[in-house]
Amino acid sequence: MTNYIIRRLLLVPVLLIGVTLIIFGMLQLLGPVERSALYVRDFPKNEKQIEGLIRKYGLDKSFFEQYWRWLNGVIDPGSGERQGGILYGDFGYSRTASQPVVDLVKERFPNTVDLALWTVYPMLSVGVWLGVKAAVNQNKFIDQAARMYSIIGTSFPTFVFGLLILMLLYAKLGWFMPGKMSDWVSKLIFSGQLKQYTHLLTIDALLNLRFDVFWDAMRHMIMPIITLSYINWATFVRVTRSSMLETLRQDYVVTARAKGLKENDVINKHARPNAMLPVVTMAGGSIVGLLGGVVITETVFNYPGIGKASADAAANLDVVTILGLAIFSGTILILSNLIVDIVYAFIDPRVRLA
Amino acid sequence: MAEKILDVQGLETQFKTPDGIVHAVNGVSITLDEGETLGLVGESGCGKSVSMLSILRLIQSPPGQIVAGKAFFKGKDLLAMSNEEIRQVRGGQISMIFQDPMTSLNPVMNIGKQMAEPMLLHLGITPKEARERSIKLLESVGIPRAGERLKDYPHQYSGGMRQRVMIAMALSCNPQILIADEPTTALDVTIQAQIVDLVIRLRQELGMAIIWITHDLGVAASIANRIAVMYGGFIIEEASVRELYAHPTHPYTLGLLNSLPQIQRKGRQRLYSIEGMPPILLQTPRACPFAPRCRWVREKCWQQNPMLESIGDNHKVACWVDTTTGSER
Ligand SMILES: Nc1ncnc2c1ncn2[C@@H]1O[C@H](COP(=O)(O)OP(=O)(O)O)[C@@H](O)[C@H]1O
Ligand code: SF4
Ligand SMILES: [Mg+2]
Repeated sequence: MTNYIIRRLLLVPVLLIGVTLIIFGMLQLLGPVERSALYVRDFPKNEKQIEGLIRKYGLDKSFFEQYWRWLNGVIDPGSGERQGGILYGDFGYSRTASQPVVDLVKERFPNTVDLALWTVYPMLSVGVWLGVKAAVNQNKFIDQAARMYSIIGTSFPTFVFGLLILMLLYAKLGWFMPGKMSDWVSKLIFSGQLKQYTHLLTIDALLNLRFDVFWDAMRHMIMPIITLSYINWATFVRVTRSSMLETLRQDYVVTARAKGLKENDVINKHARPNAMLPVVTMAGGSIVGLLGGVVITETVFNYPGIGKASADAAANLDVVTILGLAIFSGTILILSNLIVDIVYAFIDPRVRLA
Repeated sequence: MAEKILDVQGLETQFKTPDGIVHAVNGVSITLDEGETLGLVGESGCGKSVSMLSILRLIQSPPGQIVAGKAFFKGKDLLAMSNEEIRQVRGGQISMIFQDPMTSLNPVMNIGKQMAEPMLLHLGITPKEARERSIKLLESVGIPRAGERLKDYPHQYSGGMRQRVMIAMALSCNPQILIADEPTTALDVTIQAQIVDLVIRLRQELGMAIIWITHDLGVAASIANRIAVMYGGFIIEEASVRELYAHPTHPYTLGLLNSLPQIQRKGRQRLYSIEGMPPILLQTPRACPFAPRCRWVREKCWQQNPMLESIGDNHKVACWVDTTTGSER
């Protein structure tokens, strides 16, 4: 098991280099002139200026030279200071957020995590529960309903569903609201009265024993939680159901029944753990998706997470920000996959003991 | 005569499929005496597994359904029992082992846990006692270092070892009947022989009755007292091993015997193999199911399916023709 984890960890840097190469490579599809535009706010008036920019940033150098400059930065001959260099944590300045990309991530990522944290449980538990129920009652009412739901859920666009929720729960009923927090909460944070231990608002609220703040945070998150659960349930139900049906046909399930086990034990102790293997893989994917920022949902509900930041950057052709966020999401993806693999190994002895 | 421990009468099981109703078992009647071993023989797809799974109500439903029959176990009809009652029988008084040891154990549960389950259910013992008993059982079926191997998972055992585990597990609650569904088919020949020997030894020690399913008449003869031959969801011949080998009667049985390599053939008995395909079980059979492949077939065979009838000492056959004379019975 330890060996297995070490092997997976050793792979992480390799994957990261791959991710940066791909992301940087995509940018190279643009010509030097087009790329030079990314470094300035207003497009230069004459060609001389453009050439100056290209030379200054080495935009006409070879791919690997540019890649290295991007990784390592450039020492300014005048001041002797290093400029750029993602290896040194400098991902550039985000025009859209008016702050360095790193600060943008630091500010937004906790919000995305906060949302993911409260989405994962309802998403997984209800999705898996319904999938198992459907499979065990194949072709009965609950199964038909689950299948119907799964089709609607996968084909109904997120933003339409999100807008409907917004209209109903916010505009009409006024129970919940978009955004992250009410003004009085942000004042509380600004004045330092709410200590930020984790920067996750719900968790900090609980740690400060401010249940009013917690409730306020929840009222802002419930609509995105509903929307995200709604979309993800559809896939979880489908995958869990088909995996469970497959498992219920296996010989060891007959063996379990032939032992005299109760049907509940057959399902919960024998069938379900086996049926969970593909579900874990998918859950990993969904959690990665949640952490990488859910662009549409965050945008619809004006929720200030990584996804919203990406959408804002994309809308403004803010390539520096997009690059930085893409690398961030890529890293999250790699780390989450690692965690999924480890969880997988825990439930499947064939992987663990291989 | 020994007490009848199992008495199956007119068992019929069907499957509803998109292509129509599959008539997998069409009125099977078999009996089993205490301590007796019955070999259930027939080619793949003739309904051996389905008939035995039906007795324990382990048929997946839907699509499967037991549409008729009774199965008396010690006088009580298994097919009419409550779910709770049949669970007491399963794994406790009647236990079963399966064809493919690679798939019949749960891959994500260790052997110790899987072994303990039926004992905790039926013997009312503590987990610690179940563990000790598991070790003894595994040792008795020839698994070395059994104590250490309890925490291993199925994939860490070879095919033959897994089948030994299945046997140990099936016998853990001292069942009166062991149903072995082709337990050696998936194993290679030397291991097959070891498993057969193991079961014969355990039968001497424990005295349970056995229904041994196989498509190999030779294997059946090496372990069984009596053999029932199945074809197309029917039992078509039934006799003691000695009687069946001395006077095989049904054309299908003759074909089976003749395709056995190790049997010394008598000069007068012409060698022939069974031509044609096993029947498709989609229609209710009105004709003799073997008619399309039978060299003795005649008009009557197409019109009426012969019943299983006694033709002598503990010898029953379902055929219109006396194959020793070639004339109609
Ligand atoms: N789940 C099922 N659905 C449809 N048909 C089935 C099912 N299980 C078994 N059958 C059919 O029942 C017949 C008997 O199968 P089985 O008892 O497994 O044969 P065998 O004698 O090889 O054990 C076969 O024709 C098979 O196609
Ligand atoms: S009844 Fe007729 S067809 Fe059937 S086995 Fe006998 S002779 Fe052949
Ligand atoms: Mg079979």
